[in-house]
Amino acid sequence: MTATDHVQAPAPAAPTRKRARDRVRPVLFIAKKVLSLVATLFVASLAVFFSRFLVPGDPARFLLRGRSPKPEALEEITRQFGLDKPAWEQYLNWLGGILHGDWGRSLTYRQDVSDVLLGRLPTTLQLVALAAVFITVLGLFAGIVASLNKGFGDRFILITLTAAGAVPPFVAAIALVALFSVGLGWFPSFGSGDGGWDRIWHLTLPALALGITYIAMVARVTRSSMNEQLLREHVEVATSRGLTRGSVVARHVLRNAMGPILTVSGVLVAGLLVSSAIIERTFGLSGIGQLLVQSIDRLDFGVVQAIVMVVVAAFVLVNTVVDLVQPLIDPRIAAGTESR
Amino acid sequence: MTLAIHLPQAGLRRYGSLLSPMAWGALAVAAVVVLLSLFAPVLAPYDPDYVDLNNVLAGPGGQHLLGTDALGRDLLSRLMHGGRTSLLGPTIVVIGSTVLGLLLGLVAGWSEGWLGKVLGRLFDLLFAFPALLMAMLAIALFGKGLFAPILAMTIAYVPYVARLAQSLVVAERSRPYVQAYRVLGFRTPWVVLGRVLPNLIPTVGAQSTLNFGYVLADLAALSFIGLGVQPPTSDWGAMIEESRGALLGGHILPAFWPALVVVLVVVAVNVIGEELSDRIGGKLS
Amino acid sequence: MSQLLQIENFTLGFPGRPPLLDSVSLHVNDGEAVALVGESGSGKSLTTRAALGLLPGGSESSGLVSVQGLDTLTASKQRLMELRRRHASMIFQDPRAGINPVRTVGDFLTETLVRLDGLSRAEATERAVAQLEQVGLRRAGGLMDQHPHQLSGGMLQRVMIAAALLNSPDLLLCDEPTTAQDVTTQAGIVKLLREEQQSRGMGMLFITHDLNLAASLCERVYVLRRGEVVEHGPTRTVFLTPEQDYTRQLVEATPVIETGAGSSVAAVPGLDPTPLLKVSGLSKTYQLPRGGTVTALEGADFSLPEGGSLGIVGESGSGKSTLARLVVALETPTSGELTLRDIPRPQRPLRASERKALAKEVQIVFQDPYLSLDPRIPVGNAVADVFRLHQKQGRKEAKESSRSLLGRVGIGPERFDALPRALSGGQRQRVALAKALAARPRLLVLDEATSALDVSVQAQVLELVEELRDQLGLTILFVTHDLAVVSRLCSEVVVMHQGRIVEQGPTARILEDPGDHYTRNLIASRPRPLWDAEPVTA
Repeated sequence: MTATDHVQAPAPAAPTRKRARDRVRPVLFIAKKVLSLVATLFVASLAVFFSRFLVPGDPARFLLRGRSPKPEALEEITRQFGLDKPAWEQYLNWLGGILHGDWGRSLTYRQDVSDVLLGRLPTTLQLVALAAVFITVLGLFAGIVASLNKGFGDRFILITLTAAGAVPPFVAAIALVALFSVGLGWFPSFGSGDGGWDRIWHLTLPALALGITYIAMVARVTRSSMNEQLLREHVEVATSRGLTRGSVVARHVLRNAMGPILTVSGVLVAGLLVSSAIIERTFGLSGIGQLLVQSIDRLDFGVVQAIVMVVVAAFVLVNTVVDLVQPLIDPRIAAGTESR
Repeated sequence: MTLAIHLPQAGLRRYGSLLSPMAWGALAVAAVVVLLSLFAPVLAPYDPDYVDLNNVLAGPGGQHLLGTDALGRDLLSRLMHGGRTSLLGPTIVVIGSTVLGLLLGLVAGWSEGWLGKVLGRLFDLLFAFPALLMAMLAIALFGKGLFAPILAMTIAYVPYVARLAQSLVVAERSRPYVQAYRVLGFRTPWVVLGRVLPNLIPTVGAQSTLNFGYVLADLAALSFIGLGVQPPTSDWGAMIEESRGALLGGHILPAFWPALVVVLVVVAVNVIGEELSDRIGGKLS
Repeated sequence: MSQLLQIENFTLGFPGRPPLLDSVSLHVNDGEAVALVGESGSGKSLTTRAALGLLPGGSESSGLVSVQGLDTLTASKQRLMELRRRHASMIFQDPRAGINPVRTVGDFLTETLVRLDGLSRAEATERAVAQLEQVGLRRAGGLMDQHPHQLSGGMLQRVMIAAALLNSPDLLLCDEPTTAQDVTTQAGIVKLLREEQQSRGMGMLFITHDLNLAASLCERVYVLRRGEVVEHGPTRTVFLTPEQDYTRQLVEATPVIETGAGSSVAAVPGLDPTPLLKVSGLSKTYQLPRGGTVTALEGADFSLPEGGSLGIVGESGSGKSTLARLVVALETPTSGELTLRDIPRPQRPLRASERKALAKEVQIVFQDPYLSLDPRIPVGNAVADVFRLHQKQGRKEAKESSRSLLGRVGIGPERFDALPRALSGGQRQRVALAKALAARPRLLVLDEATSALDVSVQAQVLELVEELRDQLGLTILFVTHDLAVVSRLCSEVVVMHQGRIVEQGPTARILEDPGDHYTRNLIASRPRPLWDAEPVTA
């Protein structure tokens, strides 16, 4: 006995039209995101470059602050930055240079900015990567455990997270140094070691200090995102069909909760890069964060501009990747029917 | 269906009740810190900048309640005076970004045309500049001190408020009650400012309260790395920086007190902010 | 006959609060279809979930709930899972919420087969496809790779039913499975459920708030009210000769199509008044964000005389709400004419002054009683604001007017300072009505204004609308999906389908002798009691 005689055909044209669109959409979707990435980077570069024009007065003297403004030095800087040319030409030269890998010269180091940056980048990337590992492992773990253990477990973790989330990285750095370096002597408080395990040993405290607020952030997002899913009817349906608790959590709760967790990773990476300025300075690591602080200190504006651009680019890039991955997690996003 | 009905009841019940004990504690901590800082000139036992080299790194108790730093300055007095600078910055930033963000968010949310889209793009762009980065760029431009980072962070926190306000306005705009106001012939400015705006304030307030904690931590961090408040002005972040030498020598207290105060204030602010947003969540569902 | 589902003195509640269920007893025999009828908050969903051991966290329960001899209140997790897998399945109200939106339909169907029954993916897929075809879905193989958002609500509910039938359960629990569906879709699903239940000899417990639906599907019925069973027995007996007052009220409040006698307002005889509202060739087209257009309303023509009452009937996507929004100028027409009291509507958004003038002509009451009122404004002030705006009254005078108008719609002075959340759904709709009437409009648009209410509350609100219409000489435009509501309230009716008007005329004529096949289908889709259909089953 079948019921084929009264199949409802809601809006007959809809399914076929939808399918044709589904084929075109992924390409269009990716193209749109990449275009938006380029546009954002372009506008950001405008903002970074023209920020200098906010400062009133002679740009050559601004760039030479803190150094002797001898006529030949002024002439040199005017030539180097093309300060006698119109603003838009200066910008195009700067942008063209960046695209060709010529980031200008550092006044402090008397070196190409790109060389200075490249020499410092590995340390920062290693630091950020190690922090990201801590954040992913500890943050996800704490969030999942909290959301699945209602009552005491949840409250305990939540209070711990509230406290941990309130410890600024620099305070965490001081506290970790006081406890593990000065007090117990387990970890070094200075320098980045010789590579390999020694490097990791040296970077452990900085990475923890860097990561602690973000561990709390990821754990909170994981917890609330999972809690939201746990209340959904489809989870109850899955339970009502006799699936085990583990299956329900893995396939229907955690899977659906991934979207919001991924969304924070853009903020997270940018935040880690910026906060590394403070951590690297505290632990004497020579990465780009330390370089940023030194360059501000030594009024080396070209380097500051370059580092700001790097961090902004990292943020925009990670966000674009996240946007591109989201439809794989939730197909409704590509279809444009649901924002999340 | 029935299960879903019972949850909001729990929320409603909580809405009617008083603050949780934790929130009371947080409020008390915040109040004490604010009052001590506000009345520091009257209440502080010593001049915060008075150097007493005979009394270097004194322990707590006796003449100096919390001890002295490496220059023999009274830590309690420095903490109280430091609170004035440390709390002033976040206050300005939060008020500025909230007002600006609400305004832009209202406009962006209400205008269906290009203006909303352009503002949305602007918020996206601003998000790409983390507050601390924006502050450092501003310091590179305008020099060290509090002025540049406060200005920069006010701008950097605008999108956090504005984006939230925008999404709330978009949601409210399509609600039947707002449409009913339109059909009833009420003028748009009256509806937006008189009816929609007040409905946003609790949620936006919760977000801004949380922002206060982040700004406080970031400004303290800037002072800590020597880019913010300049010595000898006392500031919690700067105090921690000044005490690093003593710390490596085993004297923990001069760094411990300001660190503790920073963490306590941020915890208190976060607890209050979360309590606020929890209540709103319970009320709306 | 053994008792498949047996519930004895089942009490459930949260500590320190009155019980949600109080000594509920009911049973379902093998092969029997039983309805559990009640309004919102009666506890019918809780009762059904208890049969699968799904109790709300932190609740306390006592009594007996047993399925095939297994007490689900005390059974081990293992036994419960076994029960859910093999013996009892549940169909939920909203398939869009009930099927994981990020996984494919195929994954939803096969996950129990693969994970619990150890079938290979290919075997599981084969069985799932066969099951989908059996519940009346064509191109079932293609559906397996689709995501829920790509299917219509009716198709999704069939997927949900297919999933429930996969393990050939002995007991099928249905929690309002057609409430979220259109009438014509509902008819198909009800027929499918009846067929499957009969052919498989399953026991079925069918939860619904709709008495007609219960009568069309089940031999026996339990009536639940505030956690207590007030009456039970054979469906026919309970409905035709109810013993309890509550059941009687429920039966009386349930809207039925009334032809002739029911529609009290006859067309005004003799003089042909100029129409208050005249619509001709009215169309509304929306631009889609990704290009392309959707025509929500196409070439609508009708007119509504002063003092008349017109029903606009249609299912979701019929364009009836677009029409209502056009009339109150929440939307701007793409083409065509709309004339209200001789004033043509411009094809642009209205200016503030025009809007204010229009407000005195036409007002609207929306569907959702929980969102139609400003959550922050006490209801008395909300109504007073309108008096101040439109009747130029001072603060004090407006409050007086508000008080008396609220009293007239049945909201006593003790509620004057109440916030909307302190009111029930019916009370909120009354306030919304008062707010609209405070502008003293000639035309009142009701956009599904009673659809979200329980039947007994709906009946009261409809009565109030009738009363106000007669007292104030209001012209009514009633937009709804429910033919029965229209037959009670409106002398004329317009039937809409996919953006077009398919038929219009006097309500009695259209209900008795529909000319269009869609209208016929709509009327035929209304659930009919089993005892009416019996002679035809052969």
